[in-house]
Amino acid sequence: VALLGGVYANHLALEAVLADARVRGVERVYCLGDLGGFGPHPDRVFPLLRDAGVACVQGNYDVSVGRGLADCGCGYTDPRDNHFARVSYQYTVRNTSAANRRWLAALPAALRLTLGDHRVLLAHGSPRQVNEFLWESTTPTGLLERLCDVHETDVLGVTHTGLKWQRALPSGRLAVNVGAIGRPENDGTPAVWYTILTADPEVAVEFVRVEYDAETLAREMEAEGLPPEFAETIRTGWWTCCLEAMPVKERARGRH
Amino acid sequence: MRAAPVDVPVAADAPRAAFRELRELWFQLPGTRCNLACRHCFNASGPHAPWLAPLTAAEVRRYLAEAEALGVKELYFTGGEPFLRPELFALVADALAVAPTTVLTNGLLIDDAAADRLATLAAGSLYSLELRVSLDAPTAAANDAVRGRGAFAGALAAIRRLDARGLHPIVTAVDDPERAPGSLYAALRAVLVAGGVTRPRVKILPLLRMGRAATRGPSPRLTAVDVADGDAATLPCSASRVVAAGGVYACPILAGLPNARLAAGALAAALVDTPLYHPVCVACRETGITCRNA
Repeated sequence: VALLGGVYANHLALEAVLADARVRGVERVYCLGDLGGFGPHPDRVFPLLRDAGVACVQGNYDVSVGRGLADCGCGYTDPRDNHFARVSYQYTVRNTSAANRRWLAALPAALRLTLGDHRVLLAHGSPRQVNEFLWESTTPTGLLERLCDVHETDVLGVTHTGLKWQRALPSGRLAVNVGAIGRPENDGTPAVWYTILTADPEVAVEFVRVEYDAETLAREMEAEGLPPEFAETIRTGWWTCCLEAMPVKERARGRH
Repeated sequence: MRAAPVDVPVAADAPRAAFRELRELWFQLPGTRCNLACRHCFNASGPHAPWLAPLTAAEVRRYLAEAEALGVKELYFTGGEPFLRPELFALVADALAVAPTTVLTNGLLIDDAAADRLATLAAGSLYSLELRVSLDAPTAAANDAVRGRGAFAGALAAIRRLDARGLHPIVTAVDDPERAPGSLYAALRAVLVAGGVTRPRVKILPLLRMGRAATRGPSPRLTAVDVADGDAATLPCSASRVVAAGGVYACPILAGLPNARLAAGALAAALVDTPLYHPVCVACRETGITCRNA
């Protein structure tokens, strides 16, 4: 199965990722939420997801847009991050149709599936809180074991941070943050990543790098009046905002 | 200068914050012993006759083991000034084996050797080691008027040392209610950028009218009406605990106050609903303050 993290209205990356998954013979595609935010023309991702039969989990952005809440629910306190979050959220709400907002509001908070003999639980931030950040450097192994116990799963899949990682737990279980397809990896390249899980019979994780037409997306963002900092991230692969929540280890790997 | 924070009785009808799960565990390692005596310090830390005793290394290690089993997410060392305790480095190493760890400091004791030791600890752990360095104003004159002579230069030097080693500290500042909203954040960020800091990180906290910043006058308390509809579940004390001399307390602000103590021994015994009994609970709810890094 393929697991897609935050789409953030990046319809061009979504197209490229779905095409890549098809070529690889993926049986089923799951999206772990945050369909809008950051990118242009948020309505464009919905038909792509529906046509490909992608099962979606509700992200914090989807909760907010779906219910018409005041903000994106990312939980920033940093004024600079909050400024960009506000711009992004207001644009997304304004440009998401009422029908798509209703669709977002009806998405499930989590999805369960089985892969071989393994129970898999997919959530957006964490199974206990939709906007909880599970970064690699701030998620203790003890916490992951506990989440797997409490939520009765062998494999835990999440997104929300935008950066991918995986960890084999001492109990033999597995946690994976699938990254995001809507934004680059803060590694200086515009490519995005998604995740393929296979069971043969043990679960294996493959992170898949996908290149897409980032320049066209950046131009669309500029034409829509979105902040130049957003387009810069898409072009350069370095995050320029929403950095407050990023812990020091991950922050040190980026440019800003 | 001491003005230890004042405890108040727990009213019978004080609302309670339901305990959800243990996410953050704090250690008040040096008690309230500090090498500065800031004018706004909510727990009145200082160099002379600290009112709250330090923790022993054995106590810290016992609680670390218990917290790991409970699935703790983040660990914090605060005070007072944690770098006054030579065992800090060894305890940070132990903490980093369990979970991401943060040290709150005024930076004055972070020389090159200390910064090198911290960088080694950080590099050896899967988890992030965060340093929070306090600065309260963008100029030495304004900052040192609050924090003491040399505090600005010392903190800025520590920030640069840490930044140069990839430890990119979070500058933590207490806002002055008289200041224009947002202005302190912008001014501090500008100071960091001008100082060559590569990842300017600033966290603003509200002034708490406690300890040395206490004022006379009425001190309202929270009522059940204030925290209706699950409001209390968003308060830090629903998922955070503090180990300080005498046991486990509800939050870093109230650590050491007898009525904020939830257990004398095991951490597990302190994972209970918290009475929102103190006047400072009002500020916590109204400002949405989080003592966490983000």
